[in-house]
Amino acid sequence: MEIKFKLNGVETCVDVNPSMRLLDVIRDICHLTGTKEGCGEGECGACTVLVNDEPYNSCLTPIININNKEVITIEGFRETKAYRVIADAFAEMGGSQCGFCTPGMILASYAVLKKNPHPTEEEIRIALSGNLCRCTGYQAIVNAVLLASEKGIKL
Amino acid sequence: MIRHFVPASLEEALRIINKNNCYIMSGGTDLMVQKHVSTGLLPNFDRSVLYVMGLKELDYIKNESDGSVSIGATTRFVDIEKSELVPEIYKKVIREIASPNIRNMATMTGNIANASPAGDSIVPLVLNDAYVVLSSLNGERKVPVKDFVLGVRKTDRKNEEIITKIVLLPQNLKYFYRKVGSRKAESITKVSFLGAYRIENNIIKDFRVAFGSVSIKVVRNLEVENKYKNIKASELNIDEVIKDYSPLVTPITDQRSNKEYRHKVAMNLLRKFLEEIKGGQNE
Repeated sequence: MEIKFKLNGVETCVDVNPSMRLLDVIRDICHLTGTKEGCGEGECGACTVLVNDEPYNSCLTPIININNKEVITIEGFRETKAYRVIADAFAEMGGSQCGFCTPGMILASYAVLKKNPHPTEEEIRIALSGNLCRCTGYQAIVNAVLLASEKGIKL
Repeated sequence: MIRHFVPASLEEALRIINKNNCYIMSGGTDLMVQKHVSTGLLPNFDRSVLYVMGLKELDYIKNESDGSVSIGATTRFVDIEKSELVPEIYKKVIREIASPNIRNMATMTGNIANASPAGDSIVPLVLNDAYVVLSSLNGERKVPVKDFVLGVRKTDRKNEEIITKIVLLPQNLKYFYRKVGSRKAESITKVSFLGAYRIENNIIKDFRVAFGSVSIKVVRNLEVENKYKNIKASELNIDEVIKDYSPLVTPITDQRSNKEYRHKVAMNLLRKFLEEIKGGQNE
């Protein structure tokens, strides 16, 4: 069936089975490969995208649940000023090493900063608790979000 | 033939499910894992699927005239957690479920319908006598959550029914909740404990205990609870209560934990709760 949604600001229509994973639609149909698949069962957050500005695990989202909604992937977010601030903070603090979790981490970081521009360390840790990183030990990522918060994401 | 139905209204959904035995998909956070095959492949359903998340008429939280709070079936955990109408104890439990991403997608109704012994939100629903409303073309019926969950992935839902709402009944109780898992976020519960009480003039007027993840369904026993009502808090015999609950808590050993550990932790949490009541500092 036809499912309509906005992908990175562009009106998009796909004709697929309603149970198809949002992740597969993004990667295989829309050819945006910034969104990663890690565990495929909602544990790791590598597939995080924003749906109406809220982080979702795209690996567990049947595409029908996105009908008439707005999806932002790392490719769309890259065009914003907020991305620049967060990405620079990740670079400065060493918040990205192998990079596989980074697209999801950046979007989850943006989601918490948008809701709460000056979160505490504990609030950041809770907000990122669904995103696993096997490289950094998390402290560098938390520091990056604190730095981005200090600089302000300039919405 | 397996079909995928996307109804535009509850009425249409009820007509569909009246004729077709369907999985009911809301947020997808359980079903999409259970039916997952591989990257790039569609989930493998052995029955038709009814997608209800688009039914806006089931997305609400509201006060009813009798003082209860109704939560529509497609209301997500994130919205329940934010609502001023929802009692704090539910929010406390929800904040420890999965991760923020999952709570943005998942519904409490789905957590009940999935009927996992480790379904965290089922514990406060059972302890607080909440019920679900099931709708079909023939009308509605109310079933206490305690009776709705029959066992592992088994519920009292009939093929032609859809859970349309959860009803929370307000309680005047003090709560003690602990979830034990391997880590803080995204852990599937090894043991959870929820105790509640009300003391008036040093008399225990209400006393309730529920354990999650230690049996095929949430453990709650009214007989034991009644035994400890209307006695003086200072005279509560902690060892006797533990002795009463010990045979009711029957965990299994699985990949998450073993039965000895689970039983021990469950009893330790019960003891801590009982000490809090006996301390009487919460008059």
